[in-house]
Amino acid sequence: MKQQLEAIKLAAVEAINTASDEKAIEEIRVKYLGKKGELTAILKQMGSLSPEERPVMGQLVNEAKQSVEELIAEKKAELSAAATLQKLKDETIDITMPAKTAKVGKIHPLNSVLDDMIDIFQSMGFDVVDGPEVETDYYNFECLNVPADHPARDMQDTFYLGENLLLRTQTSAAQIRTMETRKPPIRVICPGRVYRADEVDATHSPVFHQIEGLVVDKGITMCDLKGVLEQFAHEIYGKDTKVKFRPSFFPFTEPSVEVDVSCSECGGKGCRVCKGSGWIEILGAGMVHPSVLKCCGIDPEEYSGFAFGIGLDRLTTTRYKISDIRLLFENDKRFLEQF
Amino acid sequence: MKISLNQLKTYVEINVPAEEMCEKMVMAGFEVESIEKQGENLKNVVAAKIVDIKPHEDSDHLQICQMDIGADELVQIVTGAQNIAVGDLVPAALNDSYLPNGMHIVAGKLRGVPSNGMLCSGEELCLTEADYEGASVHGILILRDEFPAGTDMRDVLGLDDYIIDFKITANRPDCNCVLGVAKEISVVLGTEFKAPATEYKTIGGDIKDFIDIEVKNYELCPRYMGRLVKNLRIGPSPDWMQKAITASGMRPINNIVDITNFVMLETGQPMHAFNYDELEGKKIIVRNAAENESITTIDGTEHALNTDMLVIADGEKPSCLAGIMGGKESEIEDDTTTLFLECAKFKRDNIRHTGRALGMRTESSGRFERGVDIKNVEYAMERALGLIYELDAGDIVDGVIDRNQGLPEDRIIVTTPAKILELIGVDVPTNTILSILNSLGLGATFDGKEITCRIPSIRDDIEGRADLAEEVMRIYGYDHIVGTAMRGDVIRGKKLPERIKNDKIKRTLSGLGAFEATTYSFISSKAIDTLNLDENDERRNQVSIINPLGEEYSVMRTQLITSMLTVLSTNINRKNEDGRFYEISKRFVAKSFPLTEQPDELPTMSIGIFGKDEDFFTLKGIIEEIMHIFGAHTRYERSNETYLHPGRQARVLANNKDVAVFGEVHPAVAQKYDIDTRVYVAEIKLDVLYTIEKRKTTYKPLPKFPAVERDFAMLCDIDVPVGNLEQAIISGASRLLEKVELFDVYTGSQIPEGKKSVAFSVWLRSADSTLSDTQIDEISEKIVAKLEKAGATLRK
Repeated sequence: MKQQLEAIKLAAVEAINTASDEKAIEEIRVKYLGKKGELTAILKQMGSLSPEERPVMGQLVNEAKQSVEELIAEKKAELSAAATLQKLKDETIDITMPAKTAKVGKIHPLNSVLDDMIDIFQSMGFDVVDGPEVETDYYNFECLNVPADHPARDMQDTFYLGENLLLRTQTSAAQIRTMETRKPPIRVICPGRVYRADEVDATHSPVFHQIEGLVVDKGITMCDLKGVLEQFAHEIYGKDTKVKFRPSFFPFTEPSVEVDVSCSECGGKGCRVCKGSGWIEILGAGMVHPSVLKCCGIDPEEYSGFAFGIGLDRLTTTRYKISDIRLLFENDKRFLEQF
Repeated sequence: MKISLNQLKTYVEINVPAEEMCEKMVMAGFEVESIEKQGENLKNVVAAKIVDIKPHEDSDHLQICQMDIGADELVQIVTGAQNIAVGDLVPAALNDSYLPNGMHIVAGKLRGVPSNGMLCSGEELCLTEADYEGASVHGILILRDEFPAGTDMRDVLGLDDYIIDFKITANRPDCNCVLGVAKEISVVLGTEFKAPATEYKTIGGDIKDFIDIEVKNYELCPRYMGRLVKNLRIGPSPDWMQKAITASGMRPINNIVDITNFVMLETGQPMHAFNYDELEGKKIIVRNAAENESITTIDGTEHALNTDMLVIADGEKPSCLAGIMGGKESEIEDDTTTLFLECAKFKRDNIRHTGRALGMRTESSGRFERGVDIKNVEYAMERALGLIYELDAGDIVDGVIDRNQGLPEDRIIVTTPAKILELIGVDVPTNTILSILNSLGLGATFDGKEITCRIPSIRDDIEGRADLAEEVMRIYGYDHIVGTAMRGDVIRGKKLPERIKNDKIKRTLSGLGAFEATTYSFISSKAIDTLNLDENDERRNQVSIINPLGEEYSVMRTQLITSMLTVLSTNINRKNEDGRFYEISKRFVAKSFPLTEQPDELPTMSIGIFGKDEDFFTLKGIIEEIMHIFGAHTRYERSNETYLHPGRQARVLANNKDVAVFGEVHPAVAQKYDIDTRVYVAEIKLDVLYTIEKRKTTYKPLPKFPAVERDFAMLCDIDVPVGNLEQAIISGASRLLEKVELFDVYTGSQIPEGKKSVAFSVWLRSADSTLSDTQIDEISEKIVAKLEKAGATLRK
């Protein structure tokens, strides 16, 4: 009987080792350990043994049963792992097949650039304000030191809606409204739509967008202006960008400067983008003209300030290398999708 | 302003190359639009002498020339021209030469005979008769025998100049002339400036015996000065003068006219030359034009004048349109013998208005508009007389008539170095400040404490310390400015609440797959008609632009729909298959007409969608998401916009406020935009939506007990709104309602005529227990009761 037990055990181990799937293992379990299994059958034969032999043999059978059970469990785990592996392998997909996208819309490129700018200036403590697009002559020109007969009016061809009403030619108009309603220290930007009578072509649009910046406080200098514009340029164009002031003229600032940044395309060496100069003109700026401060009830002897006006459309077209400004107003989905 | 470098050099020492000088001028505030080096595109072309001509054996017209180009050996060039003879000096483009028309000439063979270049015609050198006599002749240009063979053609033609185009800013009218720019160059380069001499001799007599000058309107003409020149010797002006005039883009006429133009370009002060003999009554009267007066100007145009326009009249009639253009009648002609020379200052806005009204802008009027210096009038007159004398163009009569009401004193500005530097933030030594101000002619003195400047009338633009600061810095150099951080606490800036709300809308719309569009705020005045609005619809009351670019952009929009329809049309006609677009912009609504105050600018949003998966309800879904941002309690009512499908449009009420209209675009309207598919649009009044205060969001515990789903299928009259049935379920289920969803609406077979079948799924859940069957039955009965009240009966 002992030999019979050994033989069964050996056969079971052999069968387990050679089993190739979970189904075969299950069959083996039934064959040896099931109610009618061979090891179960041996236990049933115990009755024929002497009372002395019974516990010894019983133990042996139980041990054999246990070791077969363990082997089965082990093999089962092994086969199941192999099966899982195979299943995963079979499920391999072609990852180059197209994505299933949820359709997400996009913010217009002008506003996506604007959002970046707002973020930069907000972080420098600038509030973001608004002003009307239909302005009076007073806010758009007169208080900005451009009296009725000033030749500087010719610099900006203006759309008129009434004798004294016009479409603002510059967001600078919002400067005045800000200074009228706020007391220094003032730190604001005013993004918005402006209008000039330019015929539509690849680089001109009668409707365009500016971001006006204004700071008024005690002891504000041109060095502060440069500091703010440097920080702005570093964030927009990269940290190695240099900022250059060139003297210029705007009626509402004195001194006035055009501001150039080193060309981010060539790093200032000169390329097609910067027309070989290494510099790109990005905005006009200057110290708020004393007459403008006075007009808003701020004492120019006590306070000083600076203002700057950034052309959002130019900034957008250069950032994305958009060759024709008209694309910005056409709203073809294939264009809008790209930003 | 275009200026010849050679002319500049006659007034100021320029000790650096032209490009470097230009760069320095840019950094001093004078932008350079272009530097044109004359003859830059004319390379390796020389004056060559024809030594021998032989006919080409294989051609009936080609000739083989041996050319002396000043070298040891002759050069053989084959030409087709016939107008040449041995001994002629002609332009020869040698091997590897360039012509101004872009041609590149290389050696080659013509019918087997080597030709080492090309003989050139005047046309091939881009020359006109004015540039070189004979340039227009058909055939080779025969040169005057002035230069030895081998001389570069650039030297023959005198092309050694640079033409520099300076952009003069509006605050510096004094630099709209060669002398003004030359003075600035002298300051920038630190070299000497010398004004041209104004020496001349007179022949006696007295101008008063010839003419009387009366200024009737000193406001429009603060200074008028006249001189007389007899025995005119009219002829061409010298070469150097013609070159300077041509360089600045004007045309040489004759010595007298050229002198007035030359002086204007040189000094910035326009002048006018009258034929004295044509002046009736020997009188000059500076006055406003009388009613019904007219003048024919030297360009041959007759202009009707009005009483705002200033004229220079003789005893009878206007003889010159003051500051703009002279009259035809008193024009200087070849046989004119006596000249009355005018030099005056006219008020700039009057010249501007007259010029605009008559559609005229001349070199002269442009300068008066920007402003001339009242004191410079005298210098310009002296300079012109000096040139008349120098060129022997006539005999100058003694005496001057100078009408003015007093000339301004220099203005005094007193400030301190610290006050000047306060705005800059850079330390500049006081001595440097003083020397810069003085080099600019601003008469600065320092008493140890204060700087006193004497500002001459020519620098009208300098009003105070800010201007002085600019003068100092542009010469001292802006590269001295080093960026600093501003003082004061930096706290993050704030956005206006409206901008924050717009940001939220945009985020949501992006998530919903919509693209933000940007369109012009002005539209065609006819665009509004495409919406088929009632005649008295207030959206027809559009604010018009007085001077629009064209009809297409002539009114401020009172609605955003027409722009959105254009966006949809663009996309559909470019074969984009679908699309969701929105725009956040403004409607411009006049408070009253005629417009006397600023119109209301009402923040507004438009949405437009199209594509096979889009319909009224996908747009409704977008609207609901927007209303959700504002936490608005939303209702929908039928609306009646003429531009929308009558059966597929709705008005949106948010907290009982009318905030939006949306629906399918009426096919007749869509057709006007070349849209042949169904499109859906919405217009949302953001100004109203902004007023809705969003309730604070508070967390609701997640449910602990299961929900029960029950379906309700019912029959009702076909015109019962599904929304009413939904409301009935909501009120029947009361607070145990978790969710109600419409899942079927059906009409057709097995449904009685005039009825429809509607089915909802209803989820019920209690927060504190599992609902028992009894409870569920009770609620179901309540729901059914409410549904019956609403006109529906449960289907068995």
